[in-house]
Amino acid sequence: MNAEYMIRTEDLTKVFGNFTAVDKMNIEIMPGQIFGFLGANGAGKTTAIRMLCGLLKPSSGKAMVAGYDVRVDSEAIKRKIGYMSQRFSLYDDLSIGENIRFYSGIYQVPYKVAMERAKDSLKMVGLDLSMKVMTGSLPLGFKQRLALVCALLHDPPLLILDEPTSGVDPMARRAFWNVINSLAEQGKTIIVSTHFMDEAEYCHRLIIMRSGSVLVDDSPRALKEKYGSRNMQELFLLLAGAVNE
Amino acid sequence: MSIRVLFSFVKKEIKQIFRTKEMLILMFGAPLLQLLVLGFTVTNEVKHIKLFIEDRDNTELSRAMCEGFKHTDRFDLVQQQRGESSTIMIQNWEAQLVVIVPQGFGRELRQNRKPDVQFITDGLDGNSAAVSLGYAQGIVARFIQSMLQESRQKYPFTALSSMPSQVIVSQRMWYNEDLNSAQYMVPGIIVILITIISMMMSAMSLVKEKEIGTLEQLMVTPASKIELLLGKLIPYWVIAMFEISAVTFAAHFIFRIHFTGSVAEMALAAGLYLMTTLGIGIFISTITDTQQQAMFFSWFMMIFMILLSGLFVPVQNMPYLIKKLTLLNPMSFMLAITREVIIKGTPLRYMFREVAALTLYGFVTFFLGVTRFHKTTK
Ligand SMILES: Nc1ncnc2c1ncn2[C@@H]1O[C@H](COP(=O)(O)OP(=O)(O)OP(=O)(O)O)[C@@H](O)[C@H]1O
Ligand SMILES: [Mg+2]
Repeated sequence: MNAEYMIRTEDLTKVFGNFTAVDKMNIEIMPGQIFGFLGANGAGKTTAIRMLCGLLKPSSGKAMVAGYDVRVDSEAIKRKIGYMSQRFSLYDDLSIGENIRFYSGIYQVPYKVAMERAKDSLKMVGLDLSMKVMTGSLPLGFKQRLALVCALLHDPPLLILDEPTSGVDPMARRAFWNVINSLAEQGKTIIVSTHFMDEAEYCHRLIIMRSGSVLVDDSPRALKEKYGSRNMQELFLLLAGAVNE
Repeated sequence: MSIRVLFSFVKKEIKQIFRTKEMLILMFGAPLLQLLVLGFTVTNEVKHIKLFIEDRDNTELSRAMCEGFKHTDRFDLVQQQRGESSTIMIQNWEAQLVVIVPQGFGRELRQNRKPDVQFITDGLDGNSAAVSLGYAQGIVARFIQSMLQESRQKYPFTALSSMPSQVIVSQRMWYNEDLNSAQYMVPGIIVILITIISMMMSAMSLVKEKEIGTLEQLMVTPASKIELLLGKLIPYWVIAMFEISAVTFAAHFIFRIHFTGSVAEMALAAGLYLMTTLGIGIFISTITDTQQQAMFFSWFMMIFMILLSGLFVPVQNMPYLIKKLTLLNPMSFMLAITREVIIKGTPLRYMFREVAALTLYGFVTFFLGVTRFHKTTK
């Protein structure tokens, strides 16, 4: 397998009982790319992401992440990725500073370095709050940004964000995508899942999933040209319709 | 294993424990309440038994014997309503114990024959019935005894005094002279308490992370599952150890129960026992998804363990099969050790069997719990 890919999967499949949540997924993600996982509820985005993170064992197929096989080296992969799960998952009963401190301890990032990074990231995401503020008292949009800050503490080359913008207002979503863009400019590879079709425009490349299968895999512009639609929303409806027939 | 990772977990867990009001109540309020409630109220002593004496003899001797029932707070004498029989009194809950002194009681006693005194008791509450019967028999026996001595002094040459002296049983309850119920309960409370803290709290705190999604976040970090589990459990282990000392101190001041054994040996036994309960806690967290479920499972385990521990029902009184089952219960070994060490001061080397069992259960359960806990799901 070519080492220049950040991620490469071969017929990656996950079966729960007799239900196939991800069906023979084949994707290639280059370093520095913003890669979108699009699809309606239950399409299999989270399941695919969890396999790539080493949280879930694939039923069959293969996946290489940052040069490691998810079946063999899932622990090594964990040092290479920053993960934000679909549900907000920092500790509400710890303050902002305590959450940051806890995760820097877990990732064994020297305290000073972690604090420097946290300060930069907090500025980048536009969180200008005292470290003593309790996490539970923050609105969801702020919590998501804090979660991103924590996911960046160990400076991972690969960021995997599962629906980071769900439940966040349009302004905050736009701001969040600006942050993702600048992270990509810094050379990070980013996987983002979403069911907002308008967000697809921000991706370098994307897949649209449906019932576990990858329907299309291309850049937003190429897709729009190919299907002759003005925006991604239209494209998605077109594709969804095509499959329904 | 990295000390820094471990320490990060411990620090975080302790902060969270001390910020959760429910946890604090469960850990520090509940023990005090338990100690007071169980220590003062759970008792084998029976007091103020409603007693009716039917004196069919009504002689000087029989009246003298009845006097014996009057000067104690164990019995409250009740009067008979007109036309009511003793049986009716028991049926109507007017009396719990009826003593019937037969006609000719005094005469028979003088003639050196054994008069039959009849006791009728309400067996509905079998335990207090048995205890009150014991008290009543004691009073009658003591009376007859004193009569014998008296007449022997008064009439040294009569038939009565020449009677061979009866065997008199004198009882002494070692280590708990006055059957102090607190003394009996305190070791039990200690054991229940550390079981709750270690088993229920640890299961709930692990499941809570599952419930709110932070466990998944932890699973994508490089922290190993041993670091994660130890980091999360060490605080509960420490708090449980602390509570043992707190309850022991409280028992010392409130109930005057003194810790006579070796503190180090008690700590060793508790440490081993906690490995078992923490292991069960991990195990419960792997089979449940919500805190409520974890709580339910822990209570179920707890009740099972308490019933089979010999705390409320002595192990000797259990049916054969159940008795064998108690051998599977780490709590029964811990309870035995705690009682021995705290009340009698027995050195652990005399309890090899119990210590060996705790060690075995501790390592096996903890190992099983850790093995069942996965960083990846199927
Ligand atoms: N552990 C599991 N056991 C059984 N079925 C599962 C499991 N996890 C997910 N599924 C099923 O797999 C399908 C895909 O779920 P997945 O969470 O990957 O979808 P998704 O694209 O992330 O959807 P959403 O937009 O709602 O997050 C769903 O039908 C879900 O019910
Ligand atoms: Mg999802």
